[in-house]
Amino acid sequence: MNKRQIVLSVNGTDHEVWVFPSDTVLDVLHDELGMADVRYGCGEGVCGTCTVLLDGDPVNGCLTLAVQAAGHEVTTMRGLMGPGEVMHPLQECFLRRGASQCGFCTPGMVLTSVDLVRRCVSQGQARPTRDEIRYALVGNLCRCTGYTKILDAIEEYADQ
Amino acid sequence: MTTPDLQRFTKPYRIVGTSPAHHDFVDKVKGSLHYAADWQLPGMLHGRVVRSPVPSARITGIDVTAARALPGVAAVLTAADVPSNQIVELASGGLAELQVSMPVLAADRVRYMGEPVAVVAATTPQIAYEAAELVAVDYEELPGVFDPISARADGAPRVHEVGNTLVNWQIHCGDVAGALAAADVVIEGEYRSQHVEHAYLEPEAGVGWIENGVLTLRVSTQVIEHAAMIAHILGLPQSKVRVIAAYMGGGFGGKEDMTVEAFLALLVWHTRRPVRMIWDRQESLVASTKRHPFIMRYRTGADRDGTITAQQVEIIGDAGAYPNLSPRVLFAAAACACGPYRVPNASITSTAVFTNNVPASAFRGFGAMQIVLGYESQMDQLAERLGLSRTELRERNFLAKGDLLPTGERLDTCVEVAETMHRAIALLGEPPQPSGPGKLVGRGIGCNRHPYGRTIWFRDRASAWLSLQGDGTLLIRSGVTDLGAGQAASLCQIAAEVLGAPLDDISIYIGDSALNPPAGGTFATRQLYMSGNAVLHAAQELRDRMAPVAADLLGVPADDLEFVAGRVHAHQGEVSITLAELAAACDKRAISTAHLSTWRAEAGSFDPRTGQGDTFPDYTYGTHAADVEVDVETGQVTVLRYGACHDVGRAINPMRVQGQIQGGAMQGLGYALTEDMVIEDGYVQAVLFANYLIPNSQDFPDVLVDIVESGEGKGPLGARGIGEPPIGNVAATIASAIQDAIGVRPDRLPITPERVLALLDERESQP
Amino acid sequence: MVAPPFDYVAAGSYDEAVRLLAARGEEAKILAGGQSLMPMLNLRLARPELLIDINLADQRPPSRTGDLLRLPALTRHRVLLEHDLVRQHCPLLAEAIRHVGNVRVRNRGTIGGSLAHADPTSEIGCCALATQAQVVARGPDGERTVPVSELFAGYWSTTLAESQIITDVLIPVARPRQGWSFLEMVRRTSDFAIVAVAAVVELGERPGEIAAARVALAGVADRVMLADPGPMASTADQDLDAAAARIAETLEPASDVHASAAYRRRLARVLVARALRQAAARATGDAR
Repeated sequence: MNKRQIVLSVNGTDHEVWVFPSDTVLDVLHDELGMADVRYGCGEGVCGTCTVLLDGDPVNGCLTLAVQAAGHEVTTMRGLMGPGEVMHPLQECFLRRGASQCGFCTPGMVLTSVDLVRRCVSQGQARPTRDEIRYALVGNLCRCTGYTKILDAIEEYADQ
Repeated sequence: MTTPDLQRFTKPYRIVGTSPAHHDFVDKVKGSLHYAADWQLPGMLHGRVVRSPVPSARITGIDVTAARALPGVAAVLTAADVPSNQIVELASGGLAELQVSMPVLAADRVRYMGEPVAVVAATTPQIAYEAAELVAVDYEELPGVFDPISARADGAPRVHEVGNTLVNWQIHCGDVAGALAAADVVIEGEYRSQHVEHAYLEPEAGVGWIENGVLTLRVSTQVIEHAAMIAHILGLPQSKVRVIAAYMGGGFGGKEDMTVEAFLALLVWHTRRPVRMIWDRQESLVASTKRHPFIMRYRTGADRDGTITAQQVEIIGDAGAYPNLSPRVLFAAAACACGPYRVPNASITSTAVFTNNVPASAFRGFGAMQIVLGYESQMDQLAERLGLSRTELRERNFLAKGDLLPTGERLDTCVEVAETMHRAIALLGEPPQPSGPGKLVGRGIGCNRHPYGRTIWFRDRASAWLSLQGDGTLLIRSGVTDLGAGQAASLCQIAAEVLGAPLDDISIYIGDSALNPPAGGTFATRQLYMSGNAVLHAAQELRDRMAPVAADLLGVPADDLEFVAGRVHAHQGEVSITLAELAAACDKRAISTAHLSTWRAEAGSFDPRTGQGDTFPDYTYGTHAADVEVDVETGQVTVLRYGACHDVGRAINPMRVQGQIQGGAMQGLGYALTEDMVIEDGYVQAVLFANYLIPNSQDFPDVLVDIVESGEGKGPLGARGIGEPPIGNVAATIASAIQDAIGVRPDRLPITPERVLALLDERESQP
Repeated sequence: MVAPPFDYVAAGSYDEAVRLLAARGEEAKILAGGQSLMPMLNLRLARPELLIDINLADQRPPSRTGDLLRLPALTRHRVLLEHDLVRQHCPLLAEAIRHVGNVRVRNRGTIGGSLAHADPTSEIGCCALATQAQVVARGPDGERTVPVSELFAGYWSTTLAESQIITDVLIPVARPRQGWSFLEMVRRTSDFAIVAVAAVVELGERPGEIAAARVALAGVADRVMLADPGPMASTADQDLDAAAARIAETLEPASDVHASAAYRRRLARVLVARALRQAAARATGDAR
């Protein structure tokens, strides 16, 4: 099998990469482009550590082929940050509230909840309820925090 | 929000007792932290382990020719390629256990499904997978044994030639037989727990390379001291092996034994190229070490008024195919088998038995966790039999400072378990009503005594090296490894408290066997106790050395000084100098502003024949409480409210303490209700992460937390360890609540809906 | 963790995809949402040589024509959750979709892909059976409409030919006097169902009379299945419970790590009874 060249737009920057057809978005972002905030956790789509936004929607990086992502906008958690490593307000809430212990699930949590809050607001709801946040995060597993501080951080952000 | 107000925790300190978010937590939230798999070197190869698909077999042949011939393959190694193919863990310091070694790569026999047989390295992960599949191993299956009771029986297949019983601990005090015979009531119970998996979100991973002739591994590990073992395996001098511990994406004991280290070392040393290895999640589920399933048999004798007079306990743990840390786990279980209660006559035996199941080893709680279900179930059963309330019965029997444990040790710190019990129940508020017909509600509690610090005979020590730089910033160097619970950050808080350096001015370097003074591994809830004390003392000793210089400069007595916010000034004084100025002054007077300090834990000894002697330095006491609802038609259990309270001595960082309690309790809820690594005839049944059910964000309510700060812990500033204790209470608490709801006690974990229905049927059939 | 190598082509239309499938046969697989196929590839459980990506083959939104709700096969689960037409005309499906996967899976997974995957625990399959849905399948010989009741053939297999692709799912719109219910039991929220039930009850002319009832079950056989409730005298609880008992008796589920056969059968009886009650209540307009 030969590699083919594609252009991946990640966090607003175009990257020319050579990929096998079977390379996933996770493979390319992590191994080729050195993006440490997109991580392998299970390869099954159940844990959420490889979450990226594809045209703004959270998807499993491990279940999306790189060739499928060509021509679309890919966003990782670091893509939410401002120039000079300025944190997104939700990241600041995570930090302040102790919502990150080992940190491995954090990018997936942040991306999923940013999407949730944005969609909620665009549908005319002031903010998601705590139960709605729980529901949205069902596919983002955490083994360290017991979820409470993550929910607290997202609620604080949603209230802003 | 549900997080209780943190401000009301007592704060006699400025930095300690607050909850700043700093150091590695900033990088984690920014996504810029590099975990073990986030490391690339030019020419890096990709490694993969070839594992046995069968649980018990003789290897009659291995053919690696096809694998080696595949283009892109740099190495295919088998047992013959391992210079010293033996890992020997003297897990209990040589006390009373069989000596059994574990091969790095199986030579002529495999003893569990998933046992490593070969390793490959190739230029791409793709080729590594193909090469692994091309390694042809011939297995001649042998009879195996898959549960410890069968394994102990005469004529059972031998997992190891020396026998299937790895270790048998005995603790005896008083006259148990006599006390049981004389007791007004004797409660008998047998309780069983299951294999569970750590399921850290970061799979096992690491990268190895050679630098200046030194084999260097950067891995997700709790223990950098394995460097010595790695050197031995490769036949290298210890000076030629360096292990760097990356910040872990979770450990929980699953990264306490070596995981990828030996395989990386072999491949790197053989190929002379960098190699990366990341385990598949499914590989980790099948083959990484697990928690020991326990069979716990109790006979508890008591007077009519509820005073416990005797405990007879038999603990049997399934060690799996190799020893790992089994002897220590079963020892911890034995040492805690009587719980937080006074027991004048005790007879405890605790046995680790080999089977052809996956090896069991360290997992948060380490034996002292599983046993809580045993002693707490007995307490609830006793209360029911005697017609006493559960809290009343416990209060009658709680240990107190000065009491003797069954090992003959005297408790020398306060025991606030009663306080934690009242506070945990208070967290629940009013008992709920059933949500509809066919639903029953119940409330339960679970108290525990959990050790922190290593077993005393290990003569534990930890070192820390502090350097005040010329510009007033501070460096901390410590061999500590960080699991994600703030092991590193807490050391910064302690140093900041003592030396007054702002947190932003402190850098900490951890987990490097070449560059850091050794601190011992991160396990046994020992790091705050050990490294916290090491840093505390190093900081205090450094401050004491610099104080006369500051005193001289400021013209005040040395004991009148305050170090705060980057400056030194007299208490109530207006004149101050910066830490930079102090450093410069010290330098001029040839007084070093760097200090290395080693903190040693109390030592002791234990006699395995008498079961008397020193076990652990101290304990953390706590209670959980829960309200549950049971659907009597489906058996489904819904946890309505959950509260946890522990005496942590001193909360260095209250928010992180809460986080440990909430996270530990959540793992406990999975253990109690949904997690089961089912192994049948040695074959792991659930190989997908989708089928291994760790709690998600919707399964359970928030864990409400209260903290007692008794200040009498042996950690820095009176702290007690909190990493492990909160996972222990949960299963007992849930079982207690279900018993309250349906009138029958669950005695097997996990408490599945199916098992609850069976208990309900049992209740129906009782007259 | 790493899929075996395969080639990839993006088909611009269903016809192109069918042609490619027909030419490559067993070597090729259709890639739609990828949420079922990609895990199998990552785990090296399947080794196709070619993936035919059909995500660009169809951009149609859900529509209604007459009495049918037409869902293009590539309709994402999330659209099923949110689209007004689905909520209005097949509320059963809109509810069941909440239990499928997670946010990421629902952003990519498709209804056609789910039905073609034929998981015996599939919530979507359950709803399709209970609503008497049909699929339109296109093959080299043209189009055919297949009732979903004739679609599932056993563990992860359908009656579709190798080179047939589902292009549409047709669901009769919910009618007045029809009530629905979807219930499932999972060991952990949002997981594979232990047992799931989709029930549709249609009232007759007289009060309390049932004209028709359809009960579909997941997790109790090698495929999602329709269970025959037998003659149901009325909407009274005891009659509904009796129907549930009858259904449970016919079941022969398998045991696995999550639940034994006996428990599944028992659970099915409980859930079917509850589902029938809830569906009947919805049909009569009671808020329960």
